[in-house]
Amino acid sequence: MTPRPPPLIEAIDLSKRFGAVQALDGVSVRFEPGSFHALLGENGAGKSTLVKCLMGFHAVDSGTLRIDGKAQAIADPKAAHALGLGMVYQHFTLVPSMTVAENLVLARPDLPQVIDWRAERKGIDAFLARMPFTLDPEAPAVALAAGEKQKLEILKQLYLGARVLILDEPTSVLTPQEADEVLGHARRLADAGGLTVVLITHKFREVRAYAREVTVLRGGRNAGGGSVAALDSEALVRMTFGERPLPVAAQRGGAGAGERYFELRGLNALNDRGVAAVRDLTLHVARGEIVGVAGVSGNGQRELVETIAGQREPESGAIAVAGRPYGRTRAEMRSRGVFLLAEEPLASSCVRSMSVAENLALRDFDAAPFARAGGRVDFKAIEVRARSLIEAFRIRCAGPHARIDTLSGGNVQRAVLARELSGNVQLLVAQNPCLGLDFAATREIRGKILEARNRGAAVLLVSEDLDELLELADRIVVMLEGRIVYETDRARAAAEAIGRHMTEGSRR
Amino acid sequence: MTGSELGWWGVALAVVGGAIRVSTPYLFVSLGETLTEKSGRVNLGLEGTLLMGAMSGYGASYLTGSPWLGVLAAAASGALLGLLHAAVSNLPRVNDIAVGIALFIFGSGLAFFLGKPFVQPQAPRLPTLALGGFSDAPAIRAALEVSPLFFIGIALAFAMHWALPNTRWGLIVRAVGDNAEAARTAGYPVNLTRTLATTLGGVFAGVAGAFLSLSYPGTWAEGLSSGQGLMAVALVIFARWHPVHCVWVSLLFGGASALGPALQTVGVTGYYYLTGAAPYVLTLALLIASSSRRHRLAGAPGELSINR
Amino acid sequence: MRARAETALITAGALALAFALFGLFLLANRLNPLEVYAVLWLGGFGTSFSLQATLTQAAPLMLTALCVAIPARAGLLVIGGEGALVAGGVCAVLAGVAAAGLPAAMGTVLVCAAGAAAGGAWIAMAGALKHLRGVNETISTLLLNYIAIALLNHLVSGPIRDHAVSLKVTSWSIPQAYMVDAIPGIGVHWGLALGVLACLAAYVLLRYSVPGFAIAVLGGNARAAQLVGLPIGRLTLLACALGGAAAGLAGAVEIVAVHGAASSSLVVGFGYAGILVAFLARQNPLAIVFFAFLVGGISASGGLMQRRFDMPDAATQVLQGMIFLCVLGSNALYGRLRVFRVAGAGA
Repeated sequence: MTPRPPPLIEAIDLSKRFGAVQALDGVSVRFEPGSFHALLGENGAGKSTLVKCLMGFHAVDSGTLRIDGKAQAIADPKAAHALGLGMVYQHFTLVPSMTVAENLVLARPDLPQVIDWRAERKGIDAFLARMPFTLDPEAPAVALAAGEKQKLEILKQLYLGARVLILDEPTSVLTPQEADEVLGHARRLADAGGLTVVLITHKFREVRAYAREVTVLRGGRNAGGGSVAALDSEALVRMTFGERPLPVAAQRGGAGAGERYFELRGLNALNDRGVAAVRDLTLHVARGEIVGVAGVSGNGQRELVETIAGQREPESGAIAVAGRPYGRTRAEMRSRGVFLLAEEPLASSCVRSMSVAENLALRDFDAAPFARAGGRVDFKAIEVRARSLIEAFRIRCAGPHARIDTLSGGNVQRAVLARELSGNVQLLVAQNPCLGLDFAATREIRGKILEARNRGAAVLLVSEDLDELLELADRIVVMLEGRIVYETDRARAAAEAIGRHMTEGSRR
Repeated sequence: MTGSELGWWGVALAVVGGAIRVSTPYLFVSLGETLTEKSGRVNLGLEGTLLMGAMSGYGASYLTGSPWLGVLAAAASGALLGLLHAAVSNLPRVNDIAVGIALFIFGSGLAFFLGKPFVQPQAPRLPTLALGGFSDAPAIRAALEVSPLFFIGIALAFAMHWALPNTRWGLIVRAVGDNAEAARTAGYPVNLTRTLATTLGGVFAGVAGAFLSLSYPGTWAEGLSSGQGLMAVALVIFARWHPVHCVWVSLLFGGASALGPALQTVGVTGYYYLTGAAPYVLTLALLIASSSRRHRLAGAPGELSINR
Repeated sequence: MRARAETALITAGALALAFALFGLFLLANRLNPLEVYAVLWLGGFGTSFSLQATLTQAAPLMLTALCVAIPARAGLLVIGGEGALVAGGVCAVLAGVAAAGLPAAMGTVLVCAAGAAAGGAWIAMAGALKHLRGVNETISTLLLNYIAIALLNHLVSGPIRDHAVSLKVTSWSIPQAYMVDAIPGIGVHWGLALGVLACLAAYVLLRYSVPGFAIAVLGGNARAAQLVGLPIGRLTLLACALGGAAAGLAGAVEIVAVHGAASSSLVVGFGYAGILVAFLARQNPLAIVFFAFLVGGISASGGLMQRRFDMPDAATQVLQGMIFLCVLGSNALYGRLRVFRVAGAGA
């Protein structure tokens, strides 16, 4: 790896559309050689799309990419690699049973049939000596902590000779200490001159601490940017979230907050990789109140909802509904009126091979009037009820007997909603309920959630959409790295303050 | 065997001799299945492959007069069946476990169909090495008649042990079996690798069959195999997907199989079948002890369908 | 409706391919495929004698196929039919011998119930291991097959051996009165009726009952089942126990309708052939009746084919294996055939 300067990358007026969504809209960004350039923005702002176009995963609809002044059409990732671009993804592409050295060597395109490990090790040791951080080459990848895995991914790209290193939300799976280590090393590599680092992030703290330049994307557009030193926090927040007056709230009514109905005390849960995702979480929801949990995705929300849903075992802590311990059994769900709108409804809450009508009956097929004497399921009654729900919730489908996976995403969401909101709802846990839905559907669903609240249900609304929370919630808490770090109520809620807590790391 | 004259020493001797002899087919099938599973496939059809190998080895030996040509023929037929398993399993939405069962039925049927003309005639057997030449006792001599295939098997185990981390192809196989997505990202062909690994696994199973028909028991007839092919999956789990461990595990299973007949020679007849079941009970116990609801078996390749 | 037509067409296509390939195989062995198929038909379905033989084969196959199909509904791949059948047979004998003084009909029922219970417990063990320890059910039931056969051999040659029979190693016999005759007019034992009834019952249970629906939810999406609070462990055990009971019943039927005593004749591969039947039927209990009949016919024709063409009756196994492989491979076609593509609905 010669220390020649990395290329200048210019994205000029890039546009990319996916179906109805304009992911990039005339975006122009300039990545100076040797800089540490952050791409900042909320979920869905277009950061990933921009970078995937750079790496050849998507072809742009219009606009140009220039590398060192020359226009390039990057057809596929191989072409991107040949130009010196390397990307570290959010998911790990390591082989768990192999050692660090084997993982590095595996990525080499010119591997000989018989591997001369002595020569390879020499090369790896020499390479590692040039790096500001190192790993034990003999360590098996599976034994590495998430931070070390991330470092190995970075090392792999550098080992392959990348001169532009794109990091896609690399710290979402890291502890704050690990995040600092990884980003600190990346910054040192950029400063040494041989590398440009592009960091995709939504965390202001990282931008402040490590980046030299920043570009903010919002709604697929370049919302501003420049030198990090020259921009203050408010400017960054404003560019990221935009000017946001409190949206006009739907009719709020009902008796207001009553006694506590749902409590979490000291809840701890691990994610799929065995890393703590929910840390000592305590919160409560009262009857007739909507508690909104704000936060950028990846801070433990998924694990929190899965634990409440019964899809994940908590490590420790207590869950109580109606003042009594809640074991997530079907009987408890029924008697205490617990309903759930989980994320990715098709994968988490539906049976793909079953019909709409059957899916609508998942909660009550074993109770009257759908279960008859003798243990028979009354499919006719299920069909009749399905028809009325399909009409009431305007689910677009070929009929109650259509397979649920023939419905569009939005209609699957409507179906799950219909199932969960038409019972005697005492506790509703909802996660990103309006994701991917059009404006009209969004209004409907938010209206229904509010109705449930007005009728006295306790609602826990976990959402990445700040607008949604500002519109619906009575109280808003912010979840960051598995913990609740901020709380405010409706009257005092301010988008900027909430946004800041969503994106700043814990102060040490 | 005049084990009764030697009493309990005879039993020990018989177990050792039996272990070496009977372990050889176990060794070959477990090595073959280890390779296949390292690439992320499960082949439950090795029993059919083994029988085809036994038949074609016997037939080739009879027709050409050379038992070693028989071994070659067995390897070839094993390769074909392995290739068939891979071809069907590579198709989308096909369950490799079910394919294995289908291959078991197909392979055993094919073996007994094509092998009918070979049931009566006696084919030339593979030579053995008389390692017991130092002793005068016929029992010891008999116990230490070892087939060269045993040593070939051990050599193969060590060769695989070396090749998996030290050759390009070994790395690719391990990557494909542990995280196919990572292998694909690095540009390696997943289906082709699995095809090669499964085919080679079939070759080994074919040779295991050749041992049964050309060495011990050295005939071609019904009941030749005692399920060595089906047990391959269990053996590999026991050996933790480690080629050299396959040697010890095969010796263990071979010894356990030989225990029954050996005990019979000293008059202990009651527990023949139960001792024969010992390997299966052991494997099941091992599985129970090392499985957990949350994690998969340590050492198991990540892409194996039985671990998902 | 479209889905069923698609299934039927693809299965028929796979069968046709298998028969074509087998025809090529026959040609390569200097046999005339048309002649062979004619004899196959004759030996399996052409005369009343051959039909009887076919139905006798089909009876246990229906039951062992359920041992795969019922757990499959819960998302499990169980291949322990052979072991459950053996366990059922042994316990059937033990029950029959232990309770020898009962009236005939009650004795028969007891023997069958004992067999079913034993088979159910055998496979339920694997279900428990899966739920509690995450042990893969395919491997555990495979191992349990071997353990069951070893126990059978041990018991039959030792503790429960009938020494009065010198020519064969067999266990004590159940009372003659408990044995079951042939269904009048058909010449096949009552096990056939049991098999058909069991398939019907399984179909009704899985499709129309509350626990059947719950099992289908579990098999369809375990996460969704968790989300709605279904008791995963109990459902897993139930599915395994029911499947095992069917295979255990097959073992009891072998005792009560064919052999009267346990011996190595219980181990003839009904369990493994049942796996083929279940996959051919795509795990649908009603289709199992048809495919048990088909596979049974192929097995039954083996003897006639052997005599007519001097062909080893392993030929039927070759055909069965080819059918199995073709049907498995045809799985890749589902959802790909344009004719059957369902237009997406809604926006």
